[in-house]
Order: sequence, then structure tokens, then C-alpha cells
Amino acid sequence: MIAFAEPANPPSRRAPLLWAVSALLSWILPVAAQIWWVLVHPRPGWLHVTVAAVTVALMAVHIGVVPLWRYRVHRWEISDQAAFTRTGWLVQQHRIAPISRVQTVDTYRGPLDRLFNLANVTVMTASSAGAVRIVALDSDVAEHVVAQLTDIAALGASDAT
Amino acid sequence: MSRHVSEWQRLSPRMLAVHPVHEVVRQLPVLVGSLVLGSATGNGAWPLAALGVTVGVGLSRWFFTTYRIDDENVALRTGMLRRRSISVPRNRIRSVQTDSRLLHRVLGLTVLKVGTGHESRGRSAFALDAVPAAQVPRLRAALLAESAVPETTDRPTGRVLAAWHPSWLWYAPLSFSGLLMIGAAVGVAYQSGLGVTIQQRVAQAGTEAAHRTGVVVAVSVGVFGFLALSVLLAVLWSWLTYGNLVLRRQTERGLPERLCHGVLHLRYGLVRVREFTFDMRRFRGATLREPLLVRALRGARLDAVMTGVHGEGESSVLLPPCPARTCRTLLADLIDDMAVLKPPLRSHGAAATRRRWTRALAVPAVSAGVLASANLVAAPPVWAWAGWAAVTAACALLAVDRARSLGHRVGDGWLVARAGSLERRLDCIACAGIIGWTVRQSLLQRRAGVATLIAATAAGRKRYHVIDVPADLAWSVAAAASPWVADSVWAGR
Repeated sequence: MIAFAEPANPPSRRAPLLWAVSALLSWILPVAAQIWWVLVHPRPGWLHVTVAAVTVALMAVHIGVVPLWRYRVHRWEISDQAAFTRTGWLVQQHRIAPISRVQTVDTYRGPLDRLFNLANVTVMTASSAGAVRIVALDSDVAEHVVAQLTDIAALGASDAT
Repeated sequence: MSRHVSEWQRLSPRMLAVHPVHEVVRQLPVLVGSLVLGSATGNGAWPLAALGVTVGVGLSRWFFTTYRIDDENVALRTGMLRRRSISVPRNRIRSVQTDSRLLHRVLGLTVLKVGTGHESRGRSAFALDAVPAAQVPRLRAALLAESAVPETTDRPTGRVLAAWHPSWLWYAPLSFSGLLMIGAAVGVAYQSGLGVTIQQRVAQAGTEAAHRTGVVVAVSVGVFGFLALSVLLAVLWSWLTYGNLVLRRQTERGLPERLCHGVLHLRYGLVRVREFTFDMRRFRGATLREPLLVRALRGARLDAVMTGVHGEGESSVLLPPCPARTCRTLLADLIDDMAVLKPPLRSHGAAATRRRWTRALAVPAVSAGVLASANLVAAPPVWAWAGWAAVTAACALLAVDRARSLGHRVGDGWLVARAGSLERRLDCIACAGIIGWTVRQSLLQRRAGVATLIAATAAGRKRYHVIDVPADLAWSVAAAASPWVADSVWAGR
């Protein structure tokens, strides 16, 4: 039995903010639908109150609790041999991939990522089940990671299957 | 090396006879529509024109399809209005399949498909439909030149690993193929408008028989006849599909397998002949599948785990349902190490067993609650409780079997993992082929102290699960299988 350490680095400090904002945005449509429903069919009142209460509770968890929880869980680290991450909140997963088998390294920045100056790095191997995603990194950290990875990996040396 | 062919070539001209037939079958609704239109307007030109266009389109397919095999790539250009060109680097070809259905066989033709590391389905797949059967050995050797297939495969060479045996037919009735065939026949009958007449005849004959012999006898004769028919069809189908199956291992100039990996060559089919050639250098393991009913008759089936071969479905089948002993012998031969399969698997402990029980008994528990609360309103009939007891017993047996199946073993360069009951599977994966590990824990798994370990490979299904390993053991398993995990900075930090 071996002890296996956790990866060392947390994501950006702005990561919880990004996750909270994207969670908030995803609630716009359900809330709008509910308001429209109240305006069109105001009765019965108790049903509206119940649904609204449930919505508010779910929003509070999704926007207030989950991003902080995720921030506590998310960790990443890259050594000379492997990329290692810990992600998730309710379902948590560790994923490790050897850098010698890396095929591509992608950087992705969505509109919200750009707003908060963040970036996501995906380390792809030949297996669709083996991609290591490092999310919500500060842009300069992400650039450094990509440079480090491409440096070690010497991409294209073999077909890595 | 083979001869280098660098000019664009056409497929066999005999396809001029096949394409129109396929096209007519494909456009059948349109043709029937034109026939209706023609008889409604009294103008016989409509159906003739539709038929002419359809046949013309079919013929044109041949003229617009060309292929080329040169030193680096194989390329295929198809399509009349939508031109499509597919090019596959030859060093990425991992497997070659051939398939000849009845019409193709009559004309001496064979469809040849090329499998690469990439997932390609439907239109993006590289398929030569069709080339003369006589050219196939040469083409196969040329396409798999890197893995050194013997070119003279007119006379099959190599070591026979497995061959079909009549005893395999015992497992045929356990599949649903007979029922599916009856269903398909009924569907076709209804679509062609014959269904209603047949239904009336059958209903009439049934009532008459019931009058003569009594309802119970008539119904049981009907059910028995139906089952007998489906069993007969399933056995017949299995025989036509797999009768004459031969699996060979071929190496270049008969070199020993330790020096030259060679290829696996699988051939089966009495009517529709299919052949699969796998590059053994891409062999990453195999999956022994034991569906419950097949397992009850000591049977099993074997799928290959290879890069460039899809993990599920017929393209990965090495052996259809057959005696488990045959499967195990072949598996041991392929992984070249009897020792991997011999020792017992390491079981996953009490927590994993407990989780199998709580999962299996969830449905009985909920339904017991429903029945009990229904009892407050009005007593549910006795048969409801009897049914509940039967379901509970079945669930308990399922839990016992699932818990007993669960196990894994790492050693000698192989990861062996077994799980499941109704669809029990034993995955044997070469550790060298594992290119990533995931350790996943849901909230309940964290509380139970277990984790699901997922080995990522480029082969087969891409992900192979080891379910509910004790959490403190998960990384040890990964480290035992992959030196790059054991040597990483996180191990023993």
C-alpha cells in the first residue's frame, strides 16, 4: 500500500467568482420563466411561493456553496513525468496522465474566462478517457503550464498509443 | 514490400450490377410512390422515369468512385454531387476487414474496410465497396505491409487458435436473435399489407382450435410452437453466421511469434463471409464476457481490446458464445502467459459487498414501503406480496453474484478486473497500454471508503473500470500497473 500525495496547486483565486457568475447566468432563464408564469397565472399563490422557495434554495447552493466547495477540492500539479489533477465537488476525481504519452495541449478561454482573465488547459492523450483538464488558471500561469508541458513532452516523437 | 500502385483506380466493374440493385432497394418508397402516381394519373411514364433515374444514380456511383494506394497514403474519392475524399496514412492502418454479402459473393466481390486509430463511422469510414475477391489477399498484404502479413493467403497459413465446433450451437438459443427475426418478419408482413389477412387467419384457426381442444391446450401449443420456432431460427442464424469460423495467427515467413508479432486473422460466415485481420502489435488485451444465461451453460464470449478497433460490436468479436474453456485457452494464448489468469482475483472487501446489497435491495425496499402504505387504505391482494417476495429474492441473488464477481489483480504486466452479474465481464488489459488513471469517488463512496478506478487506454472501449476498490488501495493498484505512477513525485511524498 502506498501513500499518494495530493496535487499541490489551487486554481486562480478568481475561480470561485467565475463559477458563481456562470451559475448565476444559468439561472436567468428558469427565474424569468417563473416570473412570466406568475404574471400569466397568478393563482394558486401557495404553489408559486413553494416553487420560488425551492428555486431560491437551489440557487443559494449552486451560486453560494458549490463554487467554494469546488475551490476547496480543485488542485493541479505538473511534474516532469505526469500531469495530475483533483476535480469535482459531490463526485470527486483524481486524474493522472504520463507526459510521455501526451498528444496535444489545448488552451481554451471562453467569454467569461476572458472577463476574469482566466484560462483552461486540456492535456490530451490518445485515450478519450485520459484527458487531464486544468480549469480556471490565471492566464499567465496557464501560459507557463503550456510552455512547460510542450517543453517536456517533445510532442510528436511517437504515436503514443 | 508490395507493388506500388500510384494511379487512381476504379472498383470492380461488376459493381455496375450491384449498385443499381442497392439503389432500387434504398429508394423503394419513392418508386412505390411513383407507381401510385403513375396509376392515378394513368401515365405510365412516371414509374419508368423514377426507375430510370434510380438506376442511373446507382450506375454513376461506380464512375465517380476511385481509390489509390501509394507509398504513404491510401485515398478514396466518392460522390457525384457531394464529392468526398478520404485519405488514410498507411502507417496508421491497424486492421483490415472484409465483408461479402450474398449478392457480392455471387459476383465474386468483397467489401474491404480499413480501421485506423481514429474513431470513424458511417461516411467517414474508409471502405472499398467492392473489389474482386481475388485481389483481396494482395490488397490486405499491401495495406498491412508494416505488420508483415504473408502475401500468399490463397492457401491459409499460420497457427489455428480456435475453430468452430457444433457444440457452440448450444449457446445460440440464449440470444434474442430468433425473437428479433420473428419480429422483423411480422413487421415486414404488416408493412406489405399481408399482416391483416394473416392475423385474421391465425385468429380464426386459434379460436377453432380452442373450441376443439380447450383454451389451455391451444394457448400452450401456440406458445410452445412460437418458442420452438424462435429457438430454431436462432440456431440456424448462429450456424449460418459462425459455422466455419477459424481464427489464425500468422507471422511473416512463419517466424516464431516472439520475433514477429504478425496478425490475427478471423474468418466466418457460411452465406455472408466476413474476415478480420488485426495487427498484433496493437493488441492491448481482451474482454471475456459472460452473460448470465450463457454463463449458466458454462459459456462465454471473447472480445479483442486493440487500438484502432472499436471496443463494442462485431468489429471486436474474437469468439461468439462458445464453451468458456475455449475462450480461456485462447485468452491465455493471446496474452502469452497462463500465469495471468490462474491466481484468484483479489476481492474488494466488505464495503464493496455492502454497496452491492444496498443497491440491489433499493427497489424491493421502496416497493415494500409502497405496498405497506397501500395497506393503510385497502389491503393489497396476496399475489402482490408474493410478487414482491419473488422480486426481493431475485435481487438478493443478484447482489450475492455481483459481490462474488467483483475482483481485480495486477501482475506480470496485466491488469485483470471482473465485475457484473447479468453481463459479467473480465477485462484483461496490458499495463503498457494504460495511458492514464482516474480515481473517482462519489459522496457515498467516500463515506464507504471505496473508489472507482478507471484505466484509460487508446484501445477498445478506451476506459476500463475497476469498481469499488478500497480507497487506500486504489493508488497502489495504479502504481503496481504503471511504473510512471509508482515513480511519480506524489508516490510516497
